[in-house]
Amino acid sequence: MTETPTDEYEHYEAVVVGAGPGGAAAAAALANHGVETLVLERGVDAGSKNVSGGLIYAEESAPYTIDDLFPDFREEATERPADEYYIHNVAGRNVKTFDLNDIHHHDTEWCDSVLRRKMDSWLAEQVHGMTRETGGGLLTNVRVNGLLREGGEIVGVTCDELDPITADVIVAADGVNSELARDAGLMDWEEPEEWFQGVKAVVDMDPDAINERFGIDDDEGVAHLFAGDLFDGVRGGGLLYTNEDSLSIGTVFHLDSIAEEKAEPHELLDSLLTHPLLDQWLQGEYEEREYAAKLVPDSKKAAHPSPHRGRLLLVGDAAGQMQAQGPIIKGMNHAVTAGGLAAEAYQEAKARGNPTNAGDLYEQKLETEGVMKKLRPARYRYSRPVSESGLVTGLTNGLLNSPVGTAGLKLFGGLVERAFNSPFMLGMIPDTRFSYVTMPTRIGEVLGTPVTAENDIEPPELDERIGDLTYDVDDPHIEVLDNSFEASGTAVTACPVSAKDFGGGCYREETVQTNGGEQKVVSLDTQPCVECGTCAVVADTHWEHPPGGKGVEYKQG
Amino acid sequence: MPDIDPTEHDIAELGPKIKDVDDEQELEEMLAMEKGGEGRAPVITLIEDRLEKVGGEDEEVDPSEADLTEMTIADIANMIRDVDDIEVLRDILEREKAGKDRKGAKSQIEKKINNLEEDDGEETEVEYVPPEEKYPDLDHPTNDKQYVEGTVDGEYRDMWVYCETQRGELIDVSREMLGKARELMDTYNDDYDESEDVIAVLIGDGVGDLTEECLAYGADRVVYHEDSRLERFRHKPYTEIFCHMCRDWEVEWRDYHEPRYTVFPATNNGRDLSALVQGELDSGLASDCSGLYIEDADISNPAKTGTPGETKTFGKILHMKRPDFSGFEYSTILCIDKPHRDFHPQGASVIPGSFEIPEAEPEREGEVVEHDTDLPEEWFQVEVTEYDALDEGVDLTGHEVIVALGRGIGDDPTQGIELGLDLVDQFEDADLGLSRGVITASYQFDGHVEQYITEERQIGESGQVVEPDVYIAAGISGAVQHKVGMDESDTIIAVNENPDADIRDFSDYYIEGDLFQVLPRLTDALEEGEFARALQQEVSDD
Repeated sequence: MTETPTDEYEHYEAVVVGAGPGGAAAAAALANHGVETLVLERGVDAGSKNVSGGLIYAEESAPYTIDDLFPDFREEATERPADEYYIHNVAGRNVKTFDLNDIHHHDTEWCDSVLRRKMDSWLAEQVHGMTRETGGGLLTNVRVNGLLREGGEIVGVTCDELDPITADVIVAADGVNSELARDAGLMDWEEPEEWFQGVKAVVDMDPDAINERFGIDDDEGVAHLFAGDLFDGVRGGGLLYTNEDSLSIGTVFHLDSIAEEKAEPHELLDSLLTHPLLDQWLQGEYEEREYAAKLVPDSKKAAHPSPHRGRLLLVGDAAGQMQAQGPIIKGMNHAVTAGGLAAEAYQEAKARGNPTNAGDLYEQKLETEGVMKKLRPARYRYSRPVSESGLVTGLTNGLLNSPVGTAGLKLFGGLVERAFNSPFMLGMIPDTRFSYVTMPTRIGEVLGTPVTAENDIEPPELDERIGDLTYDVDDPHIEVLDNSFEASGTAVTACPVSAKDFGGGCYREETVQTNGGEQKVVSLDTQPCVECGTCAVVADTHWEHPPGGKGVEYKQG
Repeated sequence: MPDIDPTEHDIAELGPKIKDVDDEQELEEMLAMEKGGEGRAPVITLIEDRLEKVGGEDEEVDPSEADLTEMTIADIANMIRDVDDIEVLRDILEREKAGKDRKGAKSQIEKKINNLEEDDGEETEVEYVPPEEKYPDLDHPTNDKQYVEGTVDGEYRDMWVYCETQRGELIDVSREMLGKARELMDTYNDDYDESEDVIAVLIGDGVGDLTEECLAYGADRVVYHEDSRLERFRHKPYTEIFCHMCRDWEVEWRDYHEPRYTVFPATNNGRDLSALVQGELDSGLASDCSGLYIEDADISNPAKTGTPGETKTFGKILHMKRPDFSGFEYSTILCIDKPHRDFHPQGASVIPGSFEIPEAEPEREGEVVEHDTDLPEEWFQVEVTEYDALDEGVDLTGHEVIVALGRGIGDDPTQGIELGLDLVDQFEDADLGLSRGVITASYQFDGHVEQYITEERQIGESGQVVEPDVYIAAGISGAVQHKVGMDESDTIIAVNENPDADIRDFSDYYIEGDLFQVLPRLTDALEEGEFARALQQEVSDD
């Protein structure tokens, strides 16, 4: 233990909050520099609170990859490599498949599918070993609930379970709903358009069946994306990745679109699961291991250009560092890079005798190492005012549906495929229905061929999905501040574990009699909550995570 | 050319590298290169720092030949820091006296000589002076305590276990501790060829009835003190009685000074008592332990061994494991005698649930001793004038019938509750349960039924689990979280508008219909004593 600034508290040189890939990378890099590091994780086990679509990349251009920091990573923590990458443009039964291998392999050293419980808990074990050497370690079941300040300066963190802890540097890798980033005023939950919401089913499947149905070997894997009209006009798409003995099948949508369309996320997932296209892989069998959901920051809008304040450095989802540009979906790798850079920044700042400078150095490194360029492409910022305006969307929509546009598509089908494979083009994909729905639908209609198979699988109902999840229910951690339907009613549909006319979910619509009049209100039961954060954005709530070890526990993730 | 071209490296890389460069010439060249290049200020500082360090080493002088008159007192102090030869130091001292004869310089040198001479001397045991004599001015807080410093090489035997009771019964942790104590002392007696006992201590009103049970769980001897004034736990008398029993009481079987070991439960009362008793007995306490074992311990701490550098084996040490830091790590606490001061009994309080409750052996025999002494009135000066019993709440278990209501009452929640209560009233032994959906809803209830809308009535995973003869579930869909709270009921009757509701799958009778109509009809039928017939009429299938 070194000198403590606020002497009555325990002090560590570095505190890392959250043991996901960002936190693990930061902690490992700090430990490599010999920095005394304590890692705090609120789950009963690292990974028990984590969900991701399921692909982790190692980019050739990245200064840190996960296997740089954890050499056995691919061997121990991943499922299968994603060797092939396709997008299916769906229009009814019509499907046109594009090969996206060029964009997938662009700048990619390797890319594997993962399940987060297995991956994160393995990382946490390594991190614990490494950080113990420095005099720290990794603690689970501890929820960091805010920042400790002294004279207005951030000096440490406060927890539900432990006394406050002071530190010279605090790495907040506490995820998309980072309470530290919000405490510091760096992130908010205001704009639905800054977020995606993803839901995912992990589907049990025998490894031999996977190999046969996808035409691969034990050590091979495939990734499929889906776009078009199978989601009732909600902007977003679907994904399917092969794991060792399961499939990850999920859907990801713009949250503002889910809110506007009053869409039910679990039904959108079901539309993908039951589409005839998936019959070739499911073949009438469907056993869902786990239903999960998560909010995803849209880095184009949400990546914080200056993700630090005082001793606090934000890493990964907490800083909005999630790149989702059309078929490019990369989050964990950027979190790893950011974690490594944050550690490096602190080490350098310390070497120069000015550790408080770590934040500025970290920001510089995100720029010079090209991370920010990937997360917030300048060309998106420049083209957005034009491409997302109603007028242009209307025009291009009209154009695409006109005979000229159709002919163009037919003529240039190959060109479109090439455009999908260009990181430059993808960087400026506008967030409109045109790019997510209209365009793939037209591609499917014009270029596609019909799928003849029938897919008669029956995904579980929402109450079964909730019933299959593991919870340790504690006192409510979310409070509805305004329970009027106008303020918070969107949560009834947008929440992935709630639905209209479903009494067993988090948010329920109710009609109450007040002074002779009738009023539509919502009520909240946090028992089935999966802590995704959707209602923090679309409803008027006071939102916190449950205490350490409480709430939902993902077994797959 | 130097090995490292600083202009090719970040400062972070240079830091560690430059530590290995010892050549002044090389460093000068590096400095020139950096200045000729980017001229980064921190890099220049870094190289200059190193230069100073490397350069400094060259100026080292031979202490035996140094010209002291040229040196400041600080220079001399630095120079002699590494000199271990007393002869050289004496020589320096002589030369200083012959030269400038500075008082400061001489005292530095003399001090160094003294230090070296002391180190050379044989390691001598420090003469023991009791703290009262050593620091006569200190108002030592333990001065007035009779037994501090009093006990050296005392006689200690047996493991004493405080058995806490509640409402005239042993609490589980008392049984757990007796079982553990039995196991520990059996091993102890084998290992050390002793025959020491497990002694159970009972204090309270009417605790004499529990002595047999203490024997059955592993005690060799039960010591108890009964008094109606001891009905609830009170610091003073409980502490005094416990200490008198184990330290002051003159009985033929207690032929020792104090217990060897004491074990208390880490309950609210047990924590109180353990701290007070161990304090009064002038020993330590390891609180909130979760593991206990007895073995020898090799200790090299001079505070315990009395001689620095020596390792001594202490026998029969109770190792007390306790979780630290949210259970992140465990500490093992040892309570060990030191020279001139014994630390006995070795005491622990034990977290309830840490050990298994042993199988009771009713035929076990042992000795029961009543501690029958008068308790002075002044021990009872603190009077309990008022106390709150914890609200026992609503217990839905054990009823013959439970009427449970779900979100089906949403159209008119108040009337829904009224109808449910009406039905409850028709049975001799029935109560009202609710689904979590009702309790967490925004429903507005009228005052007269509002009292029923509490979490205490919740049935299911996060509420109560009930197994009545008859479970009537009205307006409950039957999510799995609710099901686990009631599906062991003998007969389940479900009332629901939706024939696809899950509850139908695990109901014995299913009535498809609106509870606002069905419940009154069931109530009426019961009133007329024709429930079975009414049920048959309502039931559609199953």
